[in-house]
Amino acid sequence: MATQAATRVEQNACSIRGLTVVYRVERHEYAAVQDVDLDIPSGEITAVIGESGSGKTTLAMAMLNAVQPPGRIAAGSVVYPTAGDILRLSGKRLRRLRGDSISMVFQTSQNSLNPLKRIGGQAMDLARSHGRDPRGTLREARDLCAKMSLDADRVLTSYQHELSGGMRQRVGIMLALVLQPEVVLLDEPTTALDVLSQSEVLQILRDLQRERRFSAVLITHDMGVVAELADRVAVMYAGRIVERGRTRDVLIRPDHPYTRALIRSIPRLSGDLSEAVPLPGLPPSLTTIPDHGCVFRARCAYRMPICDTVQPPLESVGPDHDSACYLEGFPSD
Amino acid sequence: MIELIDIKKTFQGRTGMLSTADVHALRGVSLSIENGGALALLGESGCGKTTLGRILAGLETYDSGDIVIDGTSLNGAPKGERDRLQRKIQLIHQDPYAALNPVRTIEKSLTAPLKLRAKQSGKDKGWVEQRARELLTIVGLDPDEVLYKYPHNLSGGQRQRVVIARALTVDPTVLVADEAVSMIDVSLRLGILQLLNDLRRRLKIAVVFITHDVAAARYVALDGDICVIYRGEIFEYGRTDDVIHAPVNPYTQSLLSAVPVLVGLERPGPDRFIPLEELVTGRAVSGCLFSDRCPFAVEVCHQDHPDLLPIEELSRLNRCFFPTVRHVTAVSASGEASA
Amino acid sequence: MNTIVSEEPQALSTYPSAQTPRHRPSSWAVAWDVLRRRPTGLLGLAILLFFIGMAAFGPLFYPAELPSNPSNIFAGPSPAHPLGTDFQGTDTLALVITGSRYVLLSAFLAGLFTAVFGTVTGLISGYYLGVPDSIITKLADFVLTIPSFPLLVVLSTVWKFGSPLAMGLVLGLIGWGALARAVRSQVLTLRERTFIEAARGLGFSSVHIIVKEIFPNITSYVAMKFLLAVTGAIYASVALFFLGVLPLSTNNWGVMLQFAFSQAGAMYTTQSLPYLLAPLACILLVTFGVVLFLDAVDEMLNPRLRRG
Repeated sequence: MATQAATRVEQNACSIRGLTVVYRVERHEYAAVQDVDLDIPSGEITAVIGESGSGKTTLAMAMLNAVQPPGRIAAGSVVYPTAGDILRLSGKRLRRLRGDSISMVFQTSQNSLNPLKRIGGQAMDLARSHGRDPRGTLREARDLCAKMSLDADRVLTSYQHELSGGMRQRVGIMLALVLQPEVVLLDEPTTALDVLSQSEVLQILRDLQRERRFSAVLITHDMGVVAELADRVAVMYAGRIVERGRTRDVLIRPDHPYTRALIRSIPRLSGDLSEAVPLPGLPPSLTTIPDHGCVFRARCAYRMPICDTVQPPLESVGPDHDSACYLEGFPSD
Repeated sequence: MIELIDIKKTFQGRTGMLSTADVHALRGVSLSIENGGALALLGESGCGKTTLGRILAGLETYDSGDIVIDGTSLNGAPKGERDRLQRKIQLIHQDPYAALNPVRTIEKSLTAPLKLRAKQSGKDKGWVEQRARELLTIVGLDPDEVLYKYPHNLSGGQRQRVVIARALTVDPTVLVADEAVSMIDVSLRLGILQLLNDLRRRLKIAVVFITHDVAAARYVALDGDICVIYRGEIFEYGRTDDVIHAPVNPYTQSLLSAVPVLVGLERPGPDRFIPLEELVTGRAVSGCLFSDRCPFAVEVCHQDHPDLLPIEELSRLNRCFFPTVRHVTAVSASGEASA
Repeated sequence: MNTIVSEEPQALSTYPSAQTPRHRPSSWAVAWDVLRRRPTGLLGLAILLFFIGMAAFGPLFYPAELPSNPSNIFAGPSPAHPLGTDFQGTDTLALVITGSRYVLLSAFLAGLFTAVFGTVTGLISGYYLGVPDSIITKLADFVLTIPSFPLLVVLSTVWKFGSPLAMGLVLGLIGWGALARAVRSQVLTLRERTFIEAARGLGFSSVHIIVKEIFPNITSYVAMKFLLAVTGAIYASVALFFLGVLPLSTNNWGVMLQFAFSQAGAMYTTQSLPYLLAPLACILLVTFGVVLFLDAVDEMLNPRLRRG
């Protein structure tokens, strides 16, 4: 791990290509995720930000090949370097891959922890089911606990109900990292936490990531969490990625009107509050996503005739920065 | 003007089969809200801010203390008068979907309280219908669009607007918004906050904004006050931007430190810190209630209980033995220090 | 850019839901819409309406005393007697039609009383709690522990249940317990919901909250229980007559079954088969209609299940 950290590996921990996930509603199939291409670079945290109904959670489920009916993966591939395309796996090999290649931290970890088993026991179970050495895994678990300022002796012998919300979330992170998967999926890891616990968990994730250089996908609706944690960000709207790039670039020079409006709609502690402008309109629901043309045009202040016809493709607007908008350069405001 | 005077509230908690432990939700809170003013109650969940909001709206009793509304003490007033006064203080709940009856249309939800008023003041049916449409327009909704829908047909933001419209049916003087945007999509939140500001300006309705989100509190109460509550006690109380940009209490500072920084657009405050451990609600703490988590706590903090004292030069109330301004709040990256 | 088109950006309320009612949809329109999409529910309703019509208007076409013809007993189906005749030579179809009124009316009243008693007591005990609650739950428990059918048999020795009203009332009085408990438990969760607190905060009276806020949330449940109670009451009243514990003075389906069994020897000969099967088929058909209609009722009364 240490050597990996030293030399930055120029490869992807996961590549998503042409991913389309549809849901069946009353004899019609609607795309919750439409034609998504996304690379998860090794050793970095890639955020997927979007509102409810943007498809970010469906995307995460597809990365685990765990889309539940009435949903179905209609097209595309999700390739992990060692295991290949997860969408072609099933049964035992699929379960193996979940944990070996990709693991998940849930919004509410208490729902994912076994209430009848001690935390240490759960770590050992995890190791056994993936053919790892339980003792080594337990050592790793202790090490992770220490890094997260958890008392390992106490936590590993506890049941989940004996831990506080923030501690449970840290335990969830520990269990997700203990098998050293290629990608960790963080699904709204701090949303259910209180403000102070949130900042602590963010700090822990940041420190762990800096030290271990794991690759992660962060699913969130909160631009603040993205800014604090993610190296890169993909902005999702109505099932499509409308902008992606390095977090700093997207924050300072957002190109897509949605990203711009989203950032401007966040009240901030610094600066002039009159700069905060609400985003007009409402995000579309699954059944009302326009099937042609730009998905954002109904709320866009810069709508042009061409926006009604064809969804703009993601095109480079700067180094390592893509955006799906026909508009070139913003009117200054 | 509404004044809360030394409000105390204790819940009987149950910790085990036989043992009970009292939860001190409020340990003597005094504060005031100007007519048409804005006050943000800030704190973690479990700090007592929600209980305080419910007491204000008359949905919860208090053990001791008094509420004085425009000079009338609620303790002394007869029950009818007390109900009438507290009805002017309306609570906006966190979850707008739960706050609306799922099997009644928006029209029914709005006209029912209006009919009650019409009966009391002798207005006719036409007034009820017209007023319902008017209120929906005030909260930024198209009456034709939403009137005959059910709550599940609306988006979160629309539902919260309907809830606000329903609160307006009784012509309230105060809206108590309890985490009113935390369950709403990010892109729609600012719209609701703006609506609250709008109601203050246009209808002179005071807003008590209960939240853990300091930035939202700043937006709503920019020209008002922030009151930071921890474990049922006020820790810091002052003008909003003063408290945000020059906090003196370590608890306020830890809340401000926890606000995510939009790195690139903002720079984190140089003194930013994280408290020592998580809030354990049931735990008994001697001395200052924050001393077990405070990174700056010294001997005296663990022994003596600090009082809420004014700091003259800052026109601020503070509960800490060592009030110290720390720069924990993010500042704009463009260089200029925020006002 | 000069090519900026900004039509419709500010409209805050353009939530693009599938259907946008711009006028107040009437309950009839809603019910019809549900039935249109659920042919099975429509069939159930048709069956129920058919029997309601039979009970309401059928007896008008027949004299109070049906003619009998001792020379034509146990006749097979013929154009004159589509379902044959009984042991006295009376037309079976006429018996089925005139006999439907007592059974269906008493069952409807029994269902109504069960639903009303159970709902009102359940709402009161669940909402007010305290003393009313303990009285009502104790009463409901008491009613629930009574073996209802033996009680009916015993009651019928002293009371003749001549009118459908008496029968319905008694069946309602012994049947409300379970519904009261079920309604109470639903009210217990509903009363803690935020919208009830909001209603209190707006100054509504408890009666308003119970009738206008809580009750609409359980109407579909109560309606279903009502329909099930109706079928239960049909079985109970028919069984009482069949057992012969009630006087066989009136004509109804239960009496028909009893006679088919005792007078016509339906167990031993096949000649009285139409006489035995006709009331049985009616009972089955009514139950079938109720079951088919139930599903549609839930959707009609519960807006969350509706499309759009």
